[in-house]
Formats: sequence, C-alpha cells, structure tokens
Amino acid sequence: MGHYKMLDGNYAAVEALKMAGVKVISAYPITPQSSISEKLAELVDEGELNAKYIRVESEHTAMSCAVGAQLTGVRAATATSSVGLALMHEVLNVAAGLRVPLVMPVVNRSLASPWSLWCDHQDTMAERDSGWIQLYCENVQDVFDSVIMAYRIAEHPDVLTPAMVCLDGFFLSHSMQKVLVPEQEEIDRFVGEYKAVNLRLDPKDPILINNLTSPDEITEMKYQQAAGFRNAKRVMGEVFQEFAELFGRKKSVVEGYRTDDADAVIVTLGSMSGTAKYVVNHMREKGYKVGAAKVVSFRPFPYEELRRVLENAAKVAVLDRTTGFGAQGAPLWLEVKSALDGCKLVKSYIGGLAGRDVSMWSIENALMDIMEERSAKPDTKWIDLQGDPMNLRQVLMNV
Amino acid sequence: MRRLKFYGLGGQGVVTAGKTLSTAVSIYDGKYAITVPAYGHERRGAPVYTDIVVDEEPILANCFVYEPDIVLVMDDSIIEKNVDVAKGKRHDTALVLNTRNPEVAEMYANEFGFNKVFYVDATQIAIDCIGREIPNGPMLGALAITGIAPIEAIENALKDIFGERAGEKNAKAARKAYEQVKEI
Repeated sequence: MGHYKMLDGNYAAVEALKMAGVKVISAYPITPQSSISEKLAELVDEGELNAKYIRVESEHTAMSCAVGAQLTGVRAATATSSVGLALMHEVLNVAAGLRVPLVMPVVNRSLASPWSLWCDHQDTMAERDSGWIQLYCENVQDVFDSVIMAYRIAEHPDVLTPAMVCLDGFFLSHSMQKVLVPEQEEIDRFVGEYKAVNLRLDPKDPILINNLTSPDEITEMKYQQAAGFRNAKRVMGEVFQEFAELFGRKKSVVEGYRTDDADAVIVTLGSMSGTAKYVVNHMREKGYKVGAAKVVSFRPFPYEELRRVLENAAKVAVLDRTTGFGAQGAPLWLEVKSALDGCKLVKSYIGGLAGRDVSMWSIENALMDIMEERSAKPDTKWIDLQGDPMNLRQVLMNV
Repeated sequence: MRRLKFYGLGGQGVVTAGKTLSTAVSIYDGKYAITVPAYGHERRGAPVYTDIVVDEEPILANCFVYEPDIVLVMDDSIIEKNVDVAKGKRHDTALVLNTRNPEVAEMYANEFGFNKVFYVDATQIAIDCIGREIPNGPMLGALAITGIAPIEAIENALKDIFGERAGEKNAKAARKAYEQVKEI
C-alpha cells in the first residue's frame, strides 16, 4: 500500500511522471521548475527511467516535441513555469486542438514585467482559454496524486484533452513534505498503458495532421473540444471516486471546508487553500461562522458543485492570486460570480502576487472584510497592499 | 504546532537543514513537517533563512513563519548584516545559536531578549568531524535539545540527506553538538 517519501513538489511531480511511464521528455529548465527537468534528465541518464530525453532550445520546442512524440503513441512529458508557459501558448492550443492528452506540471510563477521568480497564478490564468484542463494543488501529496489522476482524466476517450497540474512556485515546488507513494504495480493498474485513440503518427500508415481546415469544419471541431470538457466533469468524478477507493485519499473538483453553516466563505486556489482552512478553524474558535472552498478544477469549472458548496453562505470572498486587469473582477471571481445567483454578495480580492505571502492575516482580513461589507456591488479589494502604492517607483522625467 | 525559523549565510546549508529536520520529524518521528523556503537572490555569504512547521497532525497552513517558537542561528555574525533574528519573537521563544563565545550568547540573550538560549560551537565541531566549515549538521544536533525531534531521528535524517559517508560524519557531528550544547 505504498511507502512514505520526503519529496518537494517538483520531485513529487517527477515521481508521478516516472511512475506513469513517460517515454519521451522534452523540457527546458526555468526557475522554479528547473529541478523537474534536471531530475528527469538524471533518471534517464541513470537508466531508472526508460525514456528518450530531448534537449530543446525553448519551451515552444519543448511543447512541440511533446505533441509530436505523444502522437506516435507514447506518453510524453514536459513541464514549465511563467514566461516559459507563455512561450508555449501557440503550441498549447495545438495540443488541445489535436486532442493530444498530454499531462504537464506547471510550477506557478508570476509573468514579467516586473521580473519575478516567485509565485502567483498569472501564468496559468493567461492560459485558461487554451483548451487545457487545469487542476490546482494544495500540498505536495496533492501534486503526486493530481498528476496520476490527470492521466486518467485527460486520456479518457470521451475527454481527450490535455491537462495542466498547477503547483505553486516555492510554496509547493520547493516545500519538502511527507508523501505516501503507492507501489509501481498499483500505479500501473490505475493509469494503464497509453493508447493513441485519435490521431496517430505512423510511418507505415501516414496521415496529414494539423492541416489547413476550412470554416466548414472548424466550428464542429471546436464543439467537440467543448464536449470533451463537458465529459471531463463526469470522468473526473469517476476517477476521483476510483482513486479514493484504491488509495484512500478523497478528492473533489471543489472542496468545501466547514461551509455547511457558514455565513461567509472564502474561495481559493492552490497552496493558500490550506492556510484558508487553518484560518477558518481559528476564527471558528472565536465564534465566527466562516468556511473555505477550494477550487481544484479551474478548467472545467465546477459551477454546479460550487453552487452546492456555497448554498448556505450569504457572503463569498474570492481570493485571486492574479490581477485580472481591466475586468470586472479577477478570473476566479468572474467564475464564482457567474456560478452563483444574484442574492449572494460575492466580492473580488487580489493578493499574494509575485511571491507575496498569503499569510493567515491576509485570509482573516478578507473574511473580516466580507463580513462587514454592506454594498451589494463592492469593488475589487487588493488585500495586501503596503504603504501608498502610487508613490512606489514613480518615474520622474527630466528632473 | 511548533514553528521554526533558521537563519544563516549562503553556503552554510540553511535550506538543507530545513529539509533534514522535516525528514527527521516526518519519517523518523512519525509526525508531520513542512518547509516553507524563501528563495531569493542567493549568493555565498549573503543572509538566508528558511521556515519549518512541525505538528502532530497534517499541516494545513502553508505560509511563512512570523512568530517562531524556535529560532536557529547558524552564524553569530548575522546581526552585522541587518538581520533581525528576534523578529516575531514571543516571551518563550527559544534561540539555538552557533557561537564559540559564551559572551556572544549572553549578548544575544540580553540584546534580543531571548529568555531561553542554547549555544554550541558548531563550526568547530564541523571542522573536527566533517572537515568542512559547514555547521548545519551539528546545529541540528544542538536543536534536538529543544525536544523538536529526538537526536536519533536527526542522525537518521542526516544519513538520508547527505548519503552514506558524509551522512555518518554529519550524524557524528550532530551527536557531539547535542552533547556539548549549553543553556544560558
């Protein structure tokens, strides 16, 4: 029934890719993902992982090679972060459109500019319409489990949609935690052999892939992708259920924590979700009826399940680790707001950008703020601004 | 739940010490630990720190440590580099300090107001046992005096993290520091 290993988030991702039997790896190192590409190279070099490692010159090529390799009928792996993911943008859409069910760990890091090495969700949020499933992880065990489950979800014949497993840079990628790793036979039974079920590159039976397609067909092909996402919801439920039965860890597309009788609930993504639960426990001791909701699957967005989790809450604070410039609210808020009916007060909070810690006080402040909020349509609140933000690094001309 | 902050200089193995303690607690003491590393613009000799949280239960909060129960300082010169090792300290926060000079330990106790101070010459122990001036192994041995993890768990974790030969030497250094550590 498995054994405990000390792993950081990146090594947990590597362990899962290895156990899923990836046969081709094309990765380009970028902080804080680097130890994923380095460890995979080491495993291939030492013969612990029977795979071909392609050294590439960019993330654009990394993703292109992964798509091509998987089209030959094997699992291919790559991983990236931040501007690396941005550089993949074109090919992410190609993978999704070709229905190549790649599974890719993405180590969340802010997008330039300003340059930052540190965590927020701008990189993956910028790809939320690229046709990939997105799962967000709370802790290191989650990273391992989510990569393993992502194969089953992405590769399901009714889904055939690539999946990103998003793990927060440093807070997960470099946090060393105890992980229960199943035995290889258990993973083999759960994940199974890879079979290319749609397009296949085979020199003995050549076909044309990704050819110029006329307006006569593209709408229908896009509709098929949308159907893949609709089916992914059902398949996720089934896969989570089977995983829980086999490995004893319960997963859900959205997890409510003490939400049943909560007046106010905070909705989060990723590693801050654990902190939110901790703060909820703490505030409950002081008599506040608060709860937390962790969104695991951002794409497809589990609006029905979220509605059920938030059924009894009058007020909902949504904490985004990204900006949503120029929008009515940040991306997670937009989803939550449109999932809920008009009677609830749903307020957008922004915090934890570019490595700023989402501390216990950040979460508590957001919950206290929403409990005191009286406006029916409150503005977005940046919860962890320091000092007078408009006075920082002002550019003075010709002084 | 107990929260720890490790301070030191780049090259002293501060981050590795965090991982080692996490392993000692999680694998060899049946509890739970997470490291919350703060990576920055590191270079050899620059101040670095790392946070560790230890609990009997799986740890939910994944954020930095602001109010440490234990502060570990790998290099007593760190105060010359504008690092406030007393930040967030409470009345019962323990300090574990690497210094060869008991007067420096006194100074840390008085100037920073730590009521509980343990000190050991971990650098000398590292030179004697390991042959290198890297104090993280012996400092973890000294840390065992606070009861955060049994010394045996720390010895085992050091062997895991450093591999067989360097691990043995580090474990020996840890044991020596554990025996030599003094309280003010």
